[in-house]
Amino acid sequence: MTTVIMRTTARIVVPIVLIVAISLLIEGHNLPGGGFIAGVLTSTAFVIVYIAFGLDFLERGVLGRDVDPGKTPSRDRVVVAYRRLFTVGLAIAVGSGLVPLALDHPFLSQSYIVLEGVPLYHHLEIASALAFDLGVYCVVIGGLLTIISVVGAE
Amino acid sequence: MVLQTLSPGAESTLVIAPMLIVLVAAVGTLLLGTRPRARAGVSLAGGAAYLVAVAAIDWYVVLAPDAPGAATYQVGGLPAPFGITLVADGLSAFMLTMVAVIGVASLIFSIRVLPELDRRSYYFPLFHFLALGVTGAFLTGDLFNLFVWFEVMLMASYIFVAYYGGPQHTRAAFWYVALNLLASAVFLLGVGGIYATTGTLNMADLARRLAAPAAYGIDPGPVVGLLGLLLSVFAIKAGLVPFQFWIPTAYRAAPPPITALLAGATKKVGIYAIIRLSFTVFADAQISVNLAIPAVGTILAGDSPLAFIGAVLFVMGTASILVGGLGAVGRDSLEGVLAYSSIGQVGFIAVPVAIAATTTVPDIRHIAIVAALVYALNHALAKGMLFLAVGAVRTATGTSRLADLGGLASRSPLLAGAFFIGSLALVGIPPLSGFFGKFLVFDAAAQAGSMSVLVLLLAGSLLTIAYATRAWNRSFWGQRTPAVEDAVADPVQVAVLLALAVTIVAVGIGFEPIYRFADAAATAALDTDGYVDAVDPNQTVSGVDGGNVDAGAGAGGGGGETGMGTEPETEPGTGTINTSDGGELP
Repeated sequence: MTTVIMRTTARIVVPIVLIVAISLLIEGHNLPGGGFIAGVLTSTAFVIVYIAFGLDFLERGVLGRDVDPGKTPSRDRVVVAYRRLFTVGLAIAVGSGLVPLALDHPFLSQSYIVLEGVPLYHHLEIASALAFDLGVYCVVIGGLLTIISVVGAE
Repeated sequence: MVLQTLSPGAESTLVIAPMLIVLVAAVGTLLLGTRPRARAGVSLAGGAAYLVAVAAIDWYVVLAPDAPGAATYQVGGLPAPFGITLVADGLSAFMLTMVAVIGVASLIFSIRVLPELDRRSYYFPLFHFLALGVTGAFLTGDLFNLFVWFEVMLMASYIFVAYYGGPQHTRAAFWYVALNLLASAVFLLGVGGIYATTGTLNMADLARRLAAPAAYGIDPGPVVGLLGLLLSVFAIKAGLVPFQFWIPTAYRAAPPPITALLAGATKKVGIYAIIRLSFTVFADAQISVNLAIPAVGTILAGDSPLAFIGAVLFVMGTASILVGGLGAVGRDSLEGVLAYSSIGQVGFIAVPVAIAATTTVPDIRHIAIVAALVYALNHALAKGMLFLAVGAVRTATGTSRLADLGGLASRSPLLAGAFFIGSLALVGIPPLSGFFGKFLVFDAAAQAGSMSVLVLLLAGSLLTIAYATRAWNRSFWGQRTPAVEDAVADPVQVAVLLALAVTIVAVGIGFEPIYRFADAAATAALDTDGYVDAVDPNQTVSGVDGGNVDAGAGAGGGGGETGMGTEPETEPGTGTINTSDGGELP
């Protein structure tokens, strides 16, 4: 078990890291940021949790499941979920590239739409690049966390 | 809704079709998770679709009577040179066809070799990612994008080399990864240097700028050295001496169908990149090369980077022939013999490329490129088939050590027959595909008038005969060993091998259309203007408005003339954005 300082810091830092990551993801298509860096940052938040509370904390503490400590990590439900996230992310990214083909535009063409008069926001810009970014985001989180939890357990 | 994109024509969409097919197949097999039958089905469907798409490119873009010769695709609708351009011309199509044939064969083969291994791992998705990397490398018209596709290809191949996870596989993978990471760093360095020197990475734009450096205000001198860096990276991929050392261990470690693909397809990516960059992109560069060592005097001199490339490739190619040939004679396993043999055979491909680079006669250059391409095709078919045959031998007997094998010919005549045809094709016996490959290489060397090259090629051919005979004698003739006695060859594997053997014979007997295809590929490789024109038709004639360019019909330059004089002449060499200048090329 790690120190109280580490655990207290983790409690404060992890939410901030996650919010920054999501903001990087959302504005990534026309500002610095994007799916990759947001994914790396989100993985970092998970890594802080892993370091502060141990590898089983996510399943036992957060999801309230029983964990069999002898099990190989690649069979863990969390790791299976990471791998599924990777696959789904890849499907989203490829799918978002294929949509413009169906609309008779080149592969990976992007566009955006501006909504006026939205409550709270007033002026909201929705870019199609966000779908691709979301796919990349999922791929990065799924891939990195699979590696970290499997290698970390060894 | 704002969509400022060019809508591509039918030919244009064809260009990206093979890539999309393998990409979708890769994701599809991933999504199917742990259902091996469904995975295999999706993989096969993807392979078949890939074959059809490549055949369509071959016909509609290159071989049909009214074919444009090249088609382009601007990914994301961003026009060249700013976006990523995919270009399918004769050379790309020729290479893709090679990959499609050997890829589908090894895919069918894989299904019979690996059911138990694939259940818990990612064989098929990785297979498709490997194919994706190779396909992308052949199609891209952008130097940085080429780097990316190399990486895609390498990532998948790293895992395949370490696939079985034993000590020797891990060792092989460690070397392979370390070497290729170094190569990637060098590649990136070269690409960065070229961008810093010329201000562009689009291959067509690069060719245009290097042909008229003064007009763009660039000093192209460093390009020769940077090209040398890239050449060493491509030589590592192709496995030319002195970068051959990773090949035997990596080829022994990977699963047999993947080894067939590594030898048949990814090796050719190195060769393709050398040919594409040297002849299509850098051939017209006006740079005087003058390499002199004070004590020795001038080593080489010329007014094009090709003089440099030719000399270096020549040394590498001949050394590969000798090292590969001599190494193969002494190996104690079938994979070892074939791995060293493929070092030697790549030498046979590199030597005509070197001849093409050193000669200044256009006809000899053309015939030498044709020779290299035909030889590459033969090597892909024959060596791919032989590696698959080794896989079949291993499935049947559980070993591939020459000492444990013997008498396989009487136990499984069909398997032996396929191996025999593959060996003969490697040696170059008429009427098999290998004969024409060797014949054209000798022809190119003879026309270039180089006796020493002919002697070296002849020595290499004799070595080929020696090791092919030895491998055949030890494993297929003689007394049956215990391992062979109860060997049962898998019928599907043998069927795949026979289909490839028939292909090799068919290529040899019906060589005329193959020659026509290789001829078109060599023409495309040497036709810088055609390439530039296909990528960016509005660049060759001044004054065409960029917004009107139809990316789909962008080949052959037919549409270019219409814009002549509709806009005041822009001054060449003013801006860094080169849509503002044009007319540099004849």
